[in-house]
Amino acid sequence: MKVSKWKSTIFIAPFLVCFGLFWLAPFVYGIYMSLHKLSLTRGNMGFIGLQNFLDLFNKDSMYSEAFFLGLKNTVIFVLVSVPLLVLISLGLALLVDNLPKKVQGFFRTVFFMSYAVSVTSVSAIFVWLFSGNGGFLNNMLVKMHIISQPVPWLEAQPLALIVLVITTIWWTIGFNMMLFINALNGIDTALYEASSIDGANFWNQFKSIIFPGIKSVFAFVTLTTVIASFNVFGQPQLITKGGPTQTTKSLIMVIQQTIFDGNNLGMGTAMALLMGVVVMVFALLQNFLTREKKELKGEK
Amino acid sequence: MKRSRKINIVLVIIAAVIAYFCLIPLLFMVFTSFKGMSESISSSTLLPKVWTMENYTSLLADVATAPVFRWLANTAIITCIGTLCVLAVDILAAYALSRLHVPFAGKIITMIIWVMTIPGIVTLFPSFYMFKNLDLLNTYIPLILPYTSNAMGVFLIYNFLKDFPVALEEAAIIDGASLFTVLRKVIFPSIKPVVMTLGFITFLNIYNDYLWPSIAIQSNEMKTVTVGIGSLVLGANFVDPGVMMAATVFAVFPALLLFLMVNKYIVKGVTNVGIK
Repeated sequence: MKVSKWKSTIFIAPFLVCFGLFWLAPFVYGIYMSLHKLSLTRGNMGFIGLQNFLDLFNKDSMYSEAFFLGLKNTVIFVLVSVPLLVLISLGLALLVDNLPKKVQGFFRTVFFMSYAVSVTSVSAIFVWLFSGNGGFLNNMLVKMHIISQPVPWLEAQPLALIVLVITTIWWTIGFNMMLFINALNGIDTALYEASSIDGANFWNQFKSIIFPGIKSVFAFVTLTTVIASFNVFGQPQLITKGGPTQTTKSLIMVIQQTIFDGNNLGMGTAMALLMGVVVMVFALLQNFLTREKKELKGEK
Repeated sequence: MKRSRKINIVLVIIAAVIAYFCLIPLLFMVFTSFKGMSESISSSTLLPKVWTMENYTSLLADVATAPVFRWLANTAIITCIGTLCVLAVDILAAYALSRLHVPFAGKIITMIIWVMTIPGIVTLFPSFYMFKNLDLLNTYIPLILPYTSNAMGVFLIYNFLKDFPVALEEAAIIDGASLFTVLRKVIFPSIKPVVMTLGFITFLNIYNDYLWPSIAIQSNEMKTVTVGIGSLVLGANFVDPGVMMAATVFAVFPALLLFLMVNKYIVKGVTNVGIK
């Protein structure tokens, strides 16, 4: 099919223009900003080279302290939440896949539903479920005489982290589950039948039929979940407000506060760039680890 | 695979218990919105003892703090226009890349894949500063246009079209159809499932986005409903769970309704997102 270059360029032009204006321009501008002393109220106060980045790695700088506190909190959240988010959604997918056909659609919809709820609504609900003072869970537990005093779910660790993880699980497992269900549907059912005739139990089937069949989706889900957990913002911002004593303050909260409360836009963009690098390193590492595992399995 | 009735019943019971826990937060939201102030902070049952509409009346009376309908209108405008823009831009680009021999097509696709791996946080605050310098904060423009730079949709449709036979399109071109006619009459019907999924994901993505609109909009009147709810949660004056849940019902209901309507159609399409 011969089409003139001019015509084909018209079709791709809108995307290239949007991409250039709203991705490439801010990306390049962000690098420029990170090399300047820049504040929201006082504007650009000149080129300072890599000073912002040097400050981030200088132990005595308050920015370094804030950044690495946020990074530590975020990495803890990633390490605790990702295995649960991936494994529970896989478990749900397996459960739905094994339900009688008649009720599959209903349960799939119920489990997937929370995907449509925004993080702010989720947070509004979970604040009042877990609130130490007048929260529903405390009221219920006191009434049932399981506890005598209200538990400070949002004001003590590790409870606050647990609440954030529970909230995130409720909010996000639906989408991962859908990806797993679709991957499971792609597995040839004849394999199940043959293996169960041979007397394979569920665990054997999972190990030798199911997991190999969904391996690539498993890696994809893990990768996107790692990235999403790194970007955690709404839940700690609204539910725990970064507390108790800043232990749930995420990296994005630190960046946002540096720019808006600390009035240091140049430093904030430098932090965002560094965070971008950290996330990419984590993603590559995770990608590398899952590939490594695959190769090891292959050798066996 | 034949399984015994017993196992099936056990599985359904497990699923029902999990489903109940999935539904509790939403039930809590709806029921609490009908509880009075003193009941809502001391209540230990989901269902209200006394049903009241006072949360809704006091929410709707307090337009200065929570202009819920204005927020919903803002959200409706930006999600609808935003989703249509994203779909139009992405379909045209994917069509050009997979069919029209665009110059440097290979390089553009490589660029798209690379960009998808770079976290969005990197461009977020520079975008904010650009819109600030252009004096466009607190308008619909920053709430709509930046979403069109997301390369994921182009990649999704491109991947779908790539493996699609071209014979039909060539026949249509020989018959004298223009490229736009081919796109509308031949291509569009065949990529509809992917487009529906992309549209659904984009719609919810814009509807539920929090960080970007919360920094691009400061004026209470221009907030999306998602940002509005966020500011109510942060606001110190809004401490009545009943009123809070009434506001949340307004925010959740439209998205949930859309979800339940199109859920059936997008189930298949999600596969394509996953496999990439």
